[in-house]
Amino acid sequence: MARLLQFFSILSLGALFCGVCGAQDLHAPSNVTAGEDVALPTSGSGKATFYLAGPGISQKNDVTLGEEIRLSGQDLRYAGDYTAILCSDTCHTATFYVTAAKPASVIFLVHPSRVPVGQNDAVSGVAFPFDQYRNLITVPENVNFQLSAKDASLWSRSIRTQNGVAWFRANSGKSAGPVQAVASLDDLSAKRAVQQVASDPCNLRITGQRTPNGILVQTEPVHDCAGNVVPDGTIVTFTATGPNGKGTVDAPVKQGIARAKIESPGTSVISVASGVVMGNEIRLGAQP
Amino acid sequence: MKYAIAIILVAVTAGLMVVGLFVTAQAGGTIGIAKGSALHTAKASTPDQALNNLLADVQRRNWDRAFANVVSTGGITEPAFIQDWIGSNGSVRSFSSLEGFEVRPLHETNDEAQMRVHLHFSSPVGPIEDVRDFHLVREGDLWKAVWPKVEIPSVPAQVIPVTYLRWDLVTGSAGDEWGAKNVDSPHVRIISMNAVDSAQGSVVMGEVTNEDTVPAFVTVNATLVDGAGNAIDEESSFDKIAHVLLPKQVTPYRIDFPNLSLKNVKNVHMDVKATLVPASADPVIGVMNQKIETDSQGKSVLHGDLLNQSGETVNIPHVIVSFYDNSGKVVWVSDGYVDRALLPQSTEAFAVEIPKSLAPSIHNFHVVVNQYSLNNS
Amino acid sequence: MTRQVLKKGIKRGIHFLAAVCFLFIATAFSSYAADGTVQVQLDVKKAGPRAVESLTERGVLRDYQFAWTNMARAFEFSSPDLLEGAFSGDAKQELRQTVSSQQRSHITRRYVDQSHQVEAVFYAPEGDVMELHDTAQYQLQILDGDKTVHDEHVVVHYIVLMTPAADRWVIRELQAVPQF
Repeated sequence: MARLLQFFSILSLGALFCGVCGAQDLHAPSNVTAGEDVALPTSGSGKATFYLAGPGISQKNDVTLGEEIRLSGQDLRYAGDYTAILCSDTCHTATFYVTAAKPASVIFLVHPSRVPVGQNDAVSGVAFPFDQYRNLITVPENVNFQLSAKDASLWSRSIRTQNGVAWFRANSGKSAGPVQAVASLDDLSAKRAVQQVASDPCNLRITGQRTPNGILVQTEPVHDCAGNVVPDGTIVTFTATGPNGKGTVDAPVKQGIARAKIESPGTSVISVASGVVMGNEIRLGAQP
Repeated sequence: MKYAIAIILVAVTAGLMVVGLFVTAQAGGTIGIAKGSALHTAKASTPDQALNNLLADVQRRNWDRAFANVVSTGGITEPAFIQDWIGSNGSVRSFSSLEGFEVRPLHETNDEAQMRVHLHFSSPVGPIEDVRDFHLVREGDLWKAVWPKVEIPSVPAQVIPVTYLRWDLVTGSAGDEWGAKNVDSPHVRIISMNAVDSAQGSVVMGEVTNEDTVPAFVTVNATLVDGAGNAIDEESSFDKIAHVLLPKQVTPYRIDFPNLSLKNVKNVHMDVKATLVPASADPVIGVMNQKIETDSQGKSVLHGDLLNQSGETVNIPHVIVSFYDNSGKVVWVSDGYVDRALLPQSTEAFAVEIPKSLAPSIHNFHVVVNQYSLNNS
Repeated sequence: MTRQVLKKGIKRGIHFLAAVCFLFIATAFSSYAADGTVQVQLDVKKAGPRAVESLTERGVLRDYQFAWTNMARAFEFSSPDLLEGAFSGDAKQELRQTVSSQQRSHITRRYVDQSHQVEAVFYAPEGDVMELHDTAQYQLQILDGDKTVHDEHVVVHYIVLMTPAADRWVIRELQAVPQF
């Protein structure tokens, strides 16, 4: 009987002791926002080693069981999954998620940077809201898109993000010039510039005259079909076909007009082209 | 015994040195010339010998001896003769060397002879072939070449304003956020493509245009694909394209697949890449008097004159020509470098060869001038 | 006597060489195995507004697998150079910070037997960004020196943004979320 009592006493003491030393535990926090300080309660007594592994962090600290483990907002600034491990005799793990904070910036991608006028669905934009720690915000948000030229609004729409992204397509305007594209979320905004440029030359027309130095030929002001003058530097090819063969000059447009001098004695036919667009032909007689 | 090998080695080395010094000089042979006869005959008693002497000395850049084979009353000076061979103004010729030559007599009498020489130059842009006719006359016992007076363009001193557009490229700073560097690559488009078999292999050619409003640096690649969808070969246009295209400019391109036939090719994948590049609309080069003719060797050749309408020297002009049939399809693309620099307000002749089999089907052509100027490098 | 010593020496040399060769072969096979455990399946049917081209699909699949393989190696060996070429922007910065944090604390992690079910949910109109949802399964091991402090089979949901670089697609954002 006494031996039995002794045995059970030792067993109880042992269980109590082991219960004390095996009782460390770690409780995972819920609803952690990026950048927020967090305290992890622990239970048990004695010393333990605490590990934290997550996006941007791999930490190891000695801690005292029974006290809170404080995690700074700086350690938890990246959204994602974190694994907290507490090791004494054995290791206990708690996993928790950090979610993105409130919007602090909008990443805005707009294409193209140069667009011909009068094209359908020619301009597109994509916006991603991010928090101050560059975490993508996946909670739906309303993003306002606007295209404006010379303080006049060309197009605007409010679009709700899905999976953290909002996008749009819009037609290009009728007039050449810079267009501002803005994506705004509450009081945050991102601006981009799109240059609307003239389309292909339209109604390409030339005039020419024969001089002692050769044929001087020039275009009328080169416009696209919407009336926009084509940009300087656009290449216009003049071709003169005469008895001595063919002569060609690739001349750049300057202030809307391209000019060239071609040597072609005898009766010559002059034609013009720019890219794949052809213009009129003129015939000039031989040098008198 | 132990010194025998050393003694033998020294003796053999000394013997070879003697042979190298004395025997080679007597033989008069030249080592390292790949083509053409490079033997120098002491007394040129035939037109063939005289021309060979002249060209051998030109090859060795022995100018005094070369000029001694030229008629002294011809009106040409030695400096002009030298410049005619070595080029100037950073032209292709000034970076080239005469690798070899072949001489063929055309006509010969007791006192006069006409010889045709096929010259082979090596240059940074590849091998360059030239054919020249030489007129030789007998002076006493010796034959000498009559050298024509070299016409050097006389450009009067003047000031030519440059008012053409120039584009500069500004790259964003490294700290720019995602999406802020919003400058798209230029839009270019392949407007035609034609794949044909040729004597040297397959050729893919056509034209590409810059549809954008900014200059583009363009390269065109082609991949030949078999019936199973596997790539057979991939090649690039290299220099058979005008790489820098100004807005709305059109260039031919040609991609060669040596020793490859199209019979196993089911598809051709074209890939055109364009990047932003600084450029200038100057210089403007006109192409005048373009004509297709048959040259003295019976080859179909498109020749013409390049006219530099600007104030900048074009050191290396490069001509690329697309030839069309009567339906407007590109049937061939030829190119050629002009080995002389194009001085401001001056002209230089050019010629590109057309394959004999294609010449009858050619209805039209378009010449594009690619150019390299040292000032813009 | 001399001959016997020589024979023994030669035998020992042969044994040593065999051991070295075996080590090399074993390492090679284990590298191959490590590459082979990153499995990726990509579904692009729901991507929009732009349809994913077949070449793009192949490229994204290849480059996503490459990125995860390299990331696992970077964490296993605490080597930030392995992150070059597969990541850019914020993802690269964050992963480099993870690796340097590991170097300071002497903690490493292993992602073993990876399997990724990836779905493309957004492909921009100009093709310059793609959003993927990745349901990733792997054995996550966290080691303190040689001691394993955590070993668990996990299923993690990742939101991934990929953008085209010069010759490949790179990961610009890699963010784990509780659910899609």
